[in-house]
Amino acid sequence: MVSKKKTKNLKSFISFQDTILNLQKYWSKKGCVILQPYDLEVGAGTFHPATTLRSLGPKPWKTAYVQPTRRPTDGRYGENPNRLQHYYQFQVLIKPSPKDIKKMYLNSLSSIGIKHEEHDIRFVEDDWESPTLGAAGLGWEVWCDGMEITQFTYFQQMAGMECNPISVEITYGLERLCMFIQNKKNVYDLIWNNEGVLYKDIFHQAEKEFSAYNFEYANTDKLFKIFEMLEGEAKSLIEKKISLPAYDQCLKSSHVFNILDARGVISVAQRAEYIARIRDLTKKIGKIWVETQN
Amino acid sequence: MSEFFLELFSEEIPSRLQINARNDLIQIFKKFFDDNEIIIKGKINIYSIPNRLIVYINKVSKDVTKKAQEIRGPNINAPEKALEGFLKSNKISKEKVIKKSTDKGIFFFYNKPPQKVKTYDLLKDNIASLLLKISWKKSMKWGYYDLYWGRPLKSILCLFDKKIIDFKLNHLQSSNKTFIDKDLEDEVKSFNNFKSYIKFFKQRGVIIDQNKRKEFITKEINKATNQKKIYINFNEKLIEEITNIVEKPKILVCEFNKKFLEIPQEILIITMQYHQKYFPTFDDKKKITNNFIVVADCKDKKGLVKLGNQNVVEARLADAEFFWNRNKSQNLVKQVSKLKQINYFKGLGSYFDKIQRVRKLSGIISDELLISKEKIEIASSICKVDLMSDLVSEFPELQGVMGGYFAREQGFDEEISLAVSEHYLPSGIDSKVPKKPYSIALSLSDKIDSLVGFFGINLKPTSSKDPYALRRMTISLLRLIIENQKKIKLRDLINYSINLYKEQNYSFDSKLLNDELGDFILDRLKNYLKEKDIRSDIIECSINSHGIDDLLKIFNKSLNLNKNIKKDFGIDVIAIYKRSANILNSERESKLDIVGSADPGLFKNDYEKNLYKKIHTIRKYFSSIDRDENYDESLKTLSSAKNEVNEFFDNVIVNDQEEIIKKNRLELLKMLCKSFDNYFNFSKIEV
Repeated sequence: MVSKKKTKNLKSFISFQDTILNLQKYWSKKGCVILQPYDLEVGAGTFHPATTLRSLGPKPWKTAYVQPTRRPTDGRYGENPNRLQHYYQFQVLIKPSPKDIKKMYLNSLSSIGIKHEEHDIRFVEDDWESPTLGAAGLGWEVWCDGMEITQFTYFQQMAGMECNPISVEITYGLERLCMFIQNKKNVYDLIWNNEGVLYKDIFHQAEKEFSAYNFEYANTDKLFKIFEMLEGEAKSLIEKKISLPAYDQCLKSSHVFNILDARGVISVAQRAEYIARIRDLTKKIGKIWVETQN
Repeated sequence: MSEFFLELFSEEIPSRLQINARNDLIQIFKKFFDDNEIIIKGKINIYSIPNRLIVYINKVSKDVTKKAQEIRGPNINAPEKALEGFLKSNKISKEKVIKKSTDKGIFFFYNKPPQKVKTYDLLKDNIASLLLKISWKKSMKWGYYDLYWGRPLKSILCLFDKKIIDFKLNHLQSSNKTFIDKDLEDEVKSFNNFKSYIKFFKQRGVIIDQNKRKEFITKEINKATNQKKIYINFNEKLIEEITNIVEKPKILVCEFNKKFLEIPQEILIITMQYHQKYFPTFDDKKKITNNFIVVADCKDKKGLVKLGNQNVVEARLADAEFFWNRNKSQNLVKQVSKLKQINYFKGLGSYFDKIQRVRKLSGIISDELLISKEKIEIASSICKVDLMSDLVSEFPELQGVMGGYFAREQGFDEEISLAVSEHYLPSGIDSKVPKKPYSIALSLSDKIDSLVGFFGINLKPTSSKDPYALRRMTISLLRLIIENQKKIKLRDLINYSINLYKEQNYSFDSKLLNDELGDFILDRLKNYLKEKDIRSDIIECSINSHGIDDLLKIFNKSLNLNKNIKKDFGIDVIAIYKRSANILNSERESKLDIVGSADPGLFKNDYEKNLYKKIHTIRKYFSSIDRDENYDESLKTLSSAKNEVNEFFDNVIVNDQEEIIKKNRLELLKMLCKSFDNYFNFSKIEV
């Protein structure tokens, strides 16, 4: 294990990229397949097919990966110290959920410099539901001294199907976590690496420009059409029983919907309808995927 | 007497599920012991902390004697299998059964002798099924297992007088051991009894008993706040929840940067209380301070926990401050037209459409409440603008309140700002009711518009479902009217509201809507009156005698009669009415057409004349009272007919030989009853 001296260093200086590397190393040792981010825009690490689809069916599966996450409505033009339309999640999914998963999780915190015995770590009720994925789970948000740093969920349902066995999903909010570790009040001040590169050097311009795109410039007429096209493509692939490419179309349509939502052109009633349409695709895709596993 | 001790160790069970499980376990065990006639001295103690559910009974009888019993088996003609099953389930051989004839045929019987049963054995056989009887409000599965529990269950410790009660619950085997470190579950320890268990955890600073834990937290908070001369609003729900999410509570008095005190205090409170489960504190002038209380679940030896929580609050408040500064200067009036883009409800238009209707409706109400039409219309126009603000999308609970703050910041009149702020109130049965006329007018208009709209598109509540909370909205409407003692002609307002929808091309069936909504409102009023402990026969009479235009009257009259019905004059009123009405009822079969108009020329004695005179006095009283009727006085006036009525009945035979005299006397009684109807129709009052 890490020596005392080293831990002390870790605590004050652990960079954003080292946080990722340490978590990858830790979960790799626990037998997880370390994957790379999915190469499409998604609203959460959960949407990666390595989680959604792989949590279905009977086969055991362990994975961990970083996933860039897009939430167009959360954009703040780079002016808010906590809110981003693009941020990173570190995602762990293990099926079936191991008995000692809580211990594994708490030890993973030690690997990035948070000793659980020095902090007030709380498991606060937070049942999770994703209407677009037709998914639901029970679990907690994990608080460290009052700050939410992780979502911890036992999937009960995915793509409209009951899960069996049950997977456990651990999602670390990397920016939050690093702000805690590095004791920063502004996300843009996070230290990315040991050369002194800051989060703002890498992402500030993107936040400004994407906020402008999401809130002002996205061409809504075209996006509405693109949504229809993607949905059509997904449906035709579903007919051909090709689950993974169909799921890609579904992810893309979900992102288009999120931009339209950020542009404020979707009414409450329409919103429910669009979500139902995406869920409908996910359910069919999930079913095909499970069928092709045997 | 024996000791029973059960501990269920799991991952962190949320507060409301702990409460749910504790309540269920008490009922389940109580019923089990009762059904089996097992005697318990003292209580069934159920304790919980996030990771542990505990059942502890310190005095339970060791065994129980079951009485002799005659058990009927299958018919002798039934297939052999039936008898085998019967023998097996009673654990007996064939020699033990006898044949006996009954009126339904000949059956096998087993005379079960009196039996001493060990409580231990009963528990051992039943405890798994008892535990499965907990009806979790929400439960889950994990791993490969089929067991449903609030959160993953890890171990079961179960002892009866130091002896393990050996059983299996799904994949888990009971033992005398438990995990003593809730985090890593590395350390396992065995226990002999509850005393050593509770002592062990006490030494580790864990308070197992939730009541003691709550007491401790309350005491510690008081100690900390007294020292600093600050106060908290003792929020029972929050304390309860916090008690259930900690095992070794430690009170930390934290603080945030004073500059955030510039933000409206509702935002500060909501941020701390609802999102972070902290207690905001106030000074002796009830102003919020920059201190807040955190109940941590560890000692915080290095002070990291305090620091961390302070950072979290400051980050959240920085967010809120950013929004506050941006939103407060966004011109409310200029934003009104943007409400066109926000859908109020499918089939009821946008929020812009809604405020046009509310504006006109509140204009009408302003006449009744004697307030400025211009001002209430301004309030109506801007009241929904805050829905577009960042702050309300962040803190939806603050809708209205934020609008009020923006209005004040932008120099609107205080009455207007307050009306905007309070127009969602009252939000429930315990919520504060607006008292100022502008606030009442706006809140009423908003609610009438919503109710008419939802009933108009036929989304009224069903017996089990009320997704748009129309019941609560109606109760709020009633409270606005009644608790402010306002006379509001609701029928007119509903019709006017229907017309306003019509102007916007939303056509509703006006008659149907009037009937359904009217009945719905009166039904809610019934419940409201019941909550005030008013007798249901009185409620019935009062509601039957008036309509929705007289909600206040219905309330005041029933309240007043309820208060006085046991007093002399109350008793008299009912007695007089009943005596007269009974005679009229008994004559109902006859063909006489009684309308309530006696001819004084046909009176034969003074008793009739006196009663007639009295009735006129009563009528005069009721025609002379103005809008502010004193209902006490009204009842006393009615009761004052006591002498005349008694003398009439003592000395006059209504059923006279002469048909015309009899009819005239009945007419006189009818007149009397009718004059009583001025209060309300007493016929359904039960004596």
